[in-house]
Amino acid sequence: MTDSGASACPAVEFHDVTVAYGRRPVLWNIDLVIKAPGLFGILGPNGAGKSTLLKAALGLVPLVGGRVTLFGRPLAEVRSRIGYVPQRETVDWDFPVNVMDVVLMGTYARLGWWRRPGAAERDRARAALERVGLVDLAGRQIGRLSGGQQQRVFLARALAQDAELYFLDEPLAGVDVRSQERIFRVLDDLRREGRLVVVVHHDLRTAADWFDGAALVDMRLVAAGPTAAVLTPENLRRTYAGHIDVLDELGRAVERGGRTA
Amino acid sequence: MTIDTAASMWGEFSAMHAWAIATAAVVAAGCALVGTLLVVRRMSLLGDAISHAVLPGIAVAVLAGGRPGGLLVLVGAVAAALVTVLLVQVLRREGGLADDAGTGVVFTTLFALGVVIITAAASRIDLDPGCILYGILELVPFDTVRVAGWEMPRAFLTGATVLMIVAAGLAATWKEQLFTAFDIDAARAVGLPVAAVTGGLLAATALVTVASFEAVGAILVVAMLVVPAATAELLVRRLHVMALVAMLLGVVAAVFGYLAAWRFDTSAAGMIAVVLGLEYVVAAIVAPEDGVVARVAARLALGWRVTCEDTLALLWRADEAGAGVAPQPFRSPGEWAAGLWLAASGRIAREAGRWGLTAIGRAEAETVVRSHRLWEAWLGRHADLPLDHLHPPAEWIEHHLGADLRRRIEADVGAEESDPHGRSIPREP
Repeated sequence: MTDSGASACPAVEFHDVTVAYGRRPVLWNIDLVIKAPGLFGILGPNGAGKSTLLKAALGLVPLVGGRVTLFGRPLAEVRSRIGYVPQRETVDWDFPVNVMDVVLMGTYARLGWWRRPGAAERDRARAALERVGLVDLAGRQIGRLSGGQQQRVFLARALAQDAELYFLDEPLAGVDVRSQERIFRVLDDLRREGRLVVVVHHDLRTAADWFDGAALVDMRLVAAGPTAAVLTPENLRRTYAGHIDVLDELGRAVERGGRTA
Repeated sequence: MTIDTAASMWGEFSAMHAWAIATAAVVAAGCALVGTLLVVRRMSLLGDAISHAVLPGIAVAVLAGGRPGGLLVLVGAVAAALVTVLLVQVLRREGGLADDAGTGVVFTTLFALGVVIITAAASRIDLDPGCILYGILELVPFDTVRVAGWEMPRAFLTGATVLMIVAAGLAATWKEQLFTAFDIDAARAVGLPVAAVTGGLLAATALVTVASFEAVGAILVVAMLVVPAATAELLVRRLHVMALVAMLLGVVAAVFGYLAAWRFDTSAAGMIAVVLGLEYVVAAIVAPEDGVVARVAARLALGWRVTCEDTLALLWRADEAGAGVAPQPFRSPGEWAAGLWLAASGRIAREAGRWGLTAIGRAEAETVVRSHRLWEAWLGRHADLPLDHLHPPAEWIEHHLGADLRRRIEADVGAEESDPHGRSIPREP
């Protein structure tokens, strides 16, 4: 980890962030600061806006209000230092590419226009595949991999980017136990190397073991901090049986341009 | 020029035909290249839409003094294409209309607008709706220009120029096109300008479409965009190979479609599209993995293996029972064939009037029975099933268990265990 601003500024800072799809708010007034290094979990029920929170940090959804800074700077200045692993279901796995092609995509951002990946990029991609244990499958069509292997290919693509900050969206959903362990080991290594890894996760049972810090989200931020301090029965109750009906009803009224009942 | 008179333009084969074929080949190659990206991005419908919606752009450009195939017309077409895409987005955002319905609304309206403009201005402009719809490949060689001392058809010059521009542009930005097509969110996250990448693809679509108009017309250009790419997708598994194969298929269809049209005295554009369709049918039959032949062959091979393995297991179980009865393992022609093969390959032999296993056959039979009983043991242990539910799934799974998983299952259920019916599980040979 280079120390460039990382120790001075938090790696990720959401300041009063509100996100809407169309006119309907799905995340309300999020204030969240995450410091490097570490493994940080974003937890909450289905439809809580966990993935949207990642997308807001990555500039993939427009903000209605507030701002996100990464390493103390706006996103546009630090994009190449940030790796993103989307949910596996968001792409077509019958797409005509092999494993190596996908991992090489992680090297594109640094190459810039016109240049093609060469030997150096191939080496980096191969090293990334080695870390996730898939180097033997480099030439395989991606549609012929298991779900866990596909997820590891996505992780390898992010590793090939050699970022300082990683955002992963449900990297362990629908993944076999062997792949889960492998993925978790890689994430643990990234933390050891001084990087920050932010993971959207839905399994509360494993959260306490894995994450240094966590945020409980349900359309608004319920709690954030060290995992043990966050995962209290009271916080969980507020997250999973909380005020979602109020926010949901209100959001629909805003979308309609009317009033709630 | 209408489609009826087009068919009667055929004469003796000559250099004129060679120029027409070359024109068809360059536009087919350009369309197939762009079409490859459209097909893998699930944007085929948008390609269809653009190929129609460029018409008002062309009409206005011609009214403004542009010549068909000229620069002004190309610009007008690209502008109309981008308007199409913007309108679809506006309809989605403001009207809540789904993309496919929005596309349908926009391109039919724009196309109709183009037809109206051309028909209304028919006396002033040299543009015929029939030619726009169906093309006039047969007449292409008669409208020529001189370039560097060469007399060549204008449509060929336009098509070749557009092909070179589009091919160079896409080759230079291939990695951006690839990343955006495969995973647009991740591409945007690392800072690729995905809007510009997509815009470039749409502009390329407009260019190849306009360049194809004179040759094949607005309706059949869709076939050139979509069909070769869809065919190539069946045959190969990497994007750049797919693009090259699609271009080759397009060129082959252009050549043979034209020659067939000449032979049978019919529409060249129509025949080229028919050949493209035939290529797809052939690919669907012979494709290496998903083709009809490959799938039938795989099913037959599996059936054959199952029959052979079942025969071996039957003989093994008869030995285990020790009753000394001579089982008649062959009841159907398939089983007889399998039996003959097993005998010929030294797995079973006839001895004292009954069929028995050789040493090789015994080892293979034990593997099958072992797989069967291990699976029963695993199911018995991990699923809450009555005993009579264990045999049928094992009868099927026994043909699919490999050595590695067998070892893991054995470690799980315990090496010395017998199956839930109390019979011992053979050791790994």
